Amino acid sequence: MTAIAPRREDDSLQLKPRRDPFLIILWIILVTFALVWIAPVVLIAFTALKSNAEVMATSAFTPPQEIAWNNFSGAWARGNFETTFKNSVIITVIKVPLGLMFSAMAAYALARIRLRFGKLLLLFFLFGAMIPFQVMLAPIFTLVNGFGLIDTYPGVILPYLAFGVPYQVFILHGFFKAVPKELSEAALIDGASHVTVFRRIFLPISLPVLAALLILDFVSTWNEFAMALVLLQDRHMWTLPLGLMSFQGQFSTDYGQLNAAIAMTVFPAVLVYMIFQRYFVSGLTSGAVKG
Amino acid sequence: MATVQVSDLRKSFGALEVVKGVSIDIRDGEFLILVGPSGCGKSTLLRMIAGLEDISAGRIDIGGRVVNTLSPKERNIAMVFQNYALYPQMTVGQNMGFSLEISGMKKAEIDKKVSEASEILGLTPLLQRKPSQLSGGQRQRVAMGRAIVRDPDVFLFDEPLSNLDAKLRVQMRAEIKALHQRLGSTIVYVTHDQVEAMTMADRIVVLRGGCVEQIGTPLELYDHPENMFVAGFLGSPSMNFLRGRIEGQSLLLAGGERLALPSLPKAASGGDVVVGIRPQGFAAGLQDGARATIKVVEPTGADTHVLADIGGTEITCVVNDRVDFAPGQEIRLSITSAKVHFFDPASEARLD
Repeated sequence: MTAIAPRREDDSLQLKPRRDPFLIILWIILVTFALVWIAPVVLIAFTALKSNAEVMATSAFTPPQEIAWNNFSGAWARGNFETTFKNSVIITVIKVPLGLMFSAMAAYALARIRLRFGKLLLLFFLFGAMIPFQVMLAPIFTLVNGFGLIDTYPGVILPYLAFGVPYQVFILHGFFKAVPKELSEAALIDGASHVTVFRRIFLPISLPVLAALLILDFVSTWNEFAMALVLLQDRHMWTLPLGLMSFQGQFSTDYGQLNAAIAMTVFPAVLVYMIFQRYFVSGLTSGAVKG
Repeated sequence: MATVQVSDLRKSFGALEVVKGVSIDIRDGEFLILVGPSGCGKSTLLRMIAGLEDISAGRIDIGGRVVNTLSPKERNIAMVFQNYALYPQMTVGQNMGFSLEISGMKKAEIDKKVSEASEILGLTPLLQRKPSQLSGGQRQRVAMGRAIVRDPDVFLFDEPLSNLDAKLRVQMRAEIKALHQRLGSTIVYVTHDQVEAMTMADRIVVLRGGCVEQIGTPLELYDHPENMFVAGFLGSPSMNFLRGRIEGQSLLLAGGERLALPSLPKAASGGDVVVGIRPQGFAAGLQDGARATIKVVEPTGADTHVLADIGGTEITCVVNDRVDFAPGQEIRLSITSAKVHFFDPASEARLD
């Protein structure tokens, strides 16, 4: 035992902890990236609070001298936000939970129920995530038009679901596969059906993943532009990102109002993020099985 | 409580057959332990009884009812897993009451059963805790509590103690045995630890390579092993096997040493034979017996394990007295035990 006792002179040398140069570099990179990401947010916030004249006169990163709150009311009216906001909310609130539910159920079945063509089915789902949706825009339009669903909520929700499910199934399948199989076996022996196992065991322990997917899906659905542009022709059916187009005139652009509109568009996504990020707690399965 | 009958049970994964025609009759209220080395098919056999694994061929009856195609929940069994498999988001009480809850039992009745079971297992102060706030031993007890509340026909244990540290394992071993005596239920218990098997079982089934090697009470298996595998598997340290030829009343070893034998096999006298002697069956001294060279001396406090080389074969003998042996020293070994086992060198079967 005495042979491995630390020597005293080593202790005195170790008083000041040495910083790992790798960590320092990592921090520098992190701060740089953070600045790059924060800059546009600051730009939007400042510009949204400036009058158009002040936008033209001052630099982009100068804080506003006189706060122009009327940008927001102006933007609300000009962007027809009453309608577009409502449309966005309806589409997102239906699509996001519905899509997550489908994905979770499909992922559970693929991960935990022995199916004859399970692997093939999973591959089929994954294939859906590999096709760039731009390629599909024209066929989707034809299809949705064929069903007579152009300018309707189902006409845009259904394609959204189809494009959202594959990557969610992929992620949830991976997560469910990693859940110890004894956990579902114990529940099956306890008399649970697969529906009960899914609802009572798998959903509660996958809350962190579901919260992450919900945030990602909310943001991407809320901000989706291209498909909405193709499928929603009637102004009364437009979503928020389409409404933003009203601020880009051919000869003039009101930057103050445009940025106020962007700020209002982004706000709900930030809110959802803040509500659900508390579910990002690790170790929800800790204590289930030894390991 | 129920009997379990396993008849000519087989299981194949693709071309690989892991359970090769196993038949066991488990009596009502019996504590039966399946024991064997890794990959002998003992866990697969248990999982087939539980209904977690399909049956390739054969038949399983629980309580006189064929359960081959029934789902786990229709078999009225309870299982305790090696890694506990507690529901992480539920409290101890909810974990234990889960099966009753989904069977539609009333809340008051569930609470009563859970509190009864937690009383037996000493879990009452922990009922509101989550599994992550429990120690390994407590988790294992919750897993047992979850099984007890259901009052099942058969309890299945799949290596429940192998994740616990040595001291806790000894303690839980006694608790499980006491629990069996109290509940009087049928238990099928899988382990690779022969000490667990010896100390807890009413009967032991020794498995190797998907086949049953021997079934019997712990002492039957210990005193009359049917072959060298069973003989070597049970007992600690394991039995010594000495290969040689019977000449008169002694065994002539390959190196020319002679060991006097207390008894002789009925069959195969005069021919080659393998003699099995428990480590406790030797006397090690300096005067009489066959010459052996000490390789390692392991004092355990209660006794001393001496590893020695006798005629090219390494053997272990347990010496009760304080001895002053050193590695490299030459000692004399003689057989003191009357229980000497004879095996056929080719078939490894017992010669009696």
